[in-house]
Amino acid sequence: MRLQFVLTEVLQGLRRNLSMVISVVLVTFVSLTFVGAAALLQTQVTKLKGDWYDLVEVSVFLCPDGSTAPTCADGAASEEQIAGLEKVIDTELSDVVATTYFESKADAFEAFTQLYPDGYQGTQLTEDDMQASFRLKLVDPEKYQVVDDVLEGRAGVEVVEDQREVFEPLFLALGRASLLAAGLAGVMLLAAVLLITTTIRLSAVSRRRETGIMRLVGASNLFVQLPFMLEGAIAALVGALLAVGGLWLAVQYLVTDWLQDSVDWVAYVDVGDVLLIAPLLIGIAVLLAVVSSVVTLNRYTRV
Amino acid sequence: MIRFENVSKVYARGARPALDDVSVDVSRGEFVFLVGASGSGKSTFLRLVLREERPTGGTVYVAGRDLSRLSSWKVPSLRRSIGVVFQDFRLLPGKTVYENVAFALQVIGKPRHTIRTTVPEVLEMVGLDGKEKRLPHELSGGEQQRVAIARAFVNRPQILLADEPTGNLDPTTSLGIMRLLDRINRTGTTVVMATHDDEIVNEMRKRVVELSTGSVVRDEVDAVYGERESILPQVGQTPVLDAPGRGARAVQRVQVSPEPADLEAERAAEAAAARAAAQERTITEPQPTAAPVVPVVPVVPVVPAVPEQAAASPDEVVQQVLREHERVRAGREA
Repeated sequence: MRLQFVLTEVLQGLRRNLSMVISVVLVTFVSLTFVGAAALLQTQVTKLKGDWYDLVEVSVFLCPDGSTAPTCADGAASEEQIAGLEKVIDTELSDVVATTYFESKADAFEAFTQLYPDGYQGTQLTEDDMQASFRLKLVDPEKYQVVDDVLEGRAGVEVVEDQREVFEPLFLALGRASLLAAGLAGVMLLAAVLLITTTIRLSAVSRRRETGIMRLVGASNLFVQLPFMLEGAIAALVGALLAVGGLWLAVQYLVTDWLQDSVDWVAYVDVGDVLLIAPLLIGIAVLLAVVSSVVTLNRYTRV
Repeated sequence: MIRFENVSKVYARGARPALDDVSVDVSRGEFVFLVGASGSGKSTFLRLVLREERPTGGTVYVAGRDLSRLSSWKVPSLRRSIGVVFQDFRLLPGKTVYENVAFALQVIGKPRHTIRTTVPEVLEMVGLDGKEKRLPHELSGGEQQRVAIARAFVNRPQILLADEPTGNLDPTTSLGIMRLLDRINRTGTTVVMATHDDEIVNEMRKRVVELSTGSVVRDEVDAVYGERESILPQVGQTPVLDAPGRGARAVQRVQVSPEPADLEAERAAEAAAARAAAQERTITEPQPTAAPVVPVVPVVPVVPAVPEQAAASPDEVVQQVLREHERVRAGREA
């Protein structure tokens, strides 16, 4: 009885306030799409980092002939210096470095000729133009700074380079994009809260007669307020579901079917990730609705 | 049932109190008229009983509960023991008669089968049997007030508050409403009625509590409306407003013939009451006794166990009233 009655009331309220309900649905839809987009971008960044950081190394370039770096004052790195560096890496950096690979000038030249058999931009280079280096694979790619601290400035080391730096601009761009989306989401969420508040208030005012009688005949507070709460919650929930659907479509058609086909060496977010963030979006929607209705109803339908 | 102990109510700081040190005790089953000019505190009195307001000073007890100590989540349970009727009926325009009455039970979570049995019962009692599917705007004022009374009474409250229930109704229809309230009072329900209608007060001869600028100036059992000059001093003595038999009455009052639907409802309610009384009598008391005194219309003789005959009697009364109206109208036209 109670349940059926409450549901009838809710349906009536939704029908009576249809235009406001639709606007609540749309605003929650748009705002939660932005929230979801920000979350998906973050997921994408994490995915890329996980994938690429496994491949990257720290390169410790040794002094070539004629380097102007202060640590290279003695000319090209000597056999002794190389042996000394190897020892330092084995002892001091044993916790950080997973594998060490020494690339001599000869190795570097071989790799170079494989990449550019016809010389680099028309210039034929010799083995002496190459630079010897240590290639260090780190246990945790984020610990680059430790390696840098230990090796940078030692005699025979020209420069320590983290290959991750190559990706930084991309990650920076992705990070900013997700920040932007989050910012827009924030503004839209504020609009959604205000709109839900107004909708519930309108609904409460238009049903003053009913609520007045309910209070007079002794209906409990919850019973009076529940239909309004459910109205807001249903509208917000529909918005959230639309947002999840929209993100699903976007990921399916833009990322999986299109981007994946054109640039296939990158790990992309997929519909599974959309499903992972769906509970988050729905949770936010319900929270919004509950908070705004509690605030509004306490002012408008108190016993 | 309702006890006010030195109750004061001030709405705005510094303003004249709406109630000023009022002490009234209404016992179970009483019928009390609350009279006084507009702004004398009648409505505040009723709002305090409902705990829509809290007193500024003093204590209000309703149905054994100290309202100043009643926590707000218990207010609904208090209100379930009180029925309220207003001058403007306050029916839900989109709901039928049946739905309006059922609404009061639905929102306090009564099970469906209870609603299905009690709503027709109470509708029969107020004389609206057969009009369950009508919408409020399809009913006359008197019938609408009957629906409102049915809604207030459907949960069988211990107390019925009526705030000028006849204020919007013509005198004959008002009498029908009063008979209904009186019948409800006879079931043991305490009735408190705020009113301006001197004619009704004078004919009912019940307890009268008169308020003036927030104080009780009179509390008499078996009383009349009182001096109009003292209750409505600004109006003074006028033949139209004054109670019959009080003051100068040179001019005949305006006669209005009642709506046939109201008369029909009154007949039906009367019949239902007679049936109920007859039934009770056959169960509890085998010997026929005099019918309960119905104050407004002449006594209805109840013939035990033959409800149809009992129903015929008020019918005659109504016919009489109608004939009287016809006669007056004919006289006016002639």
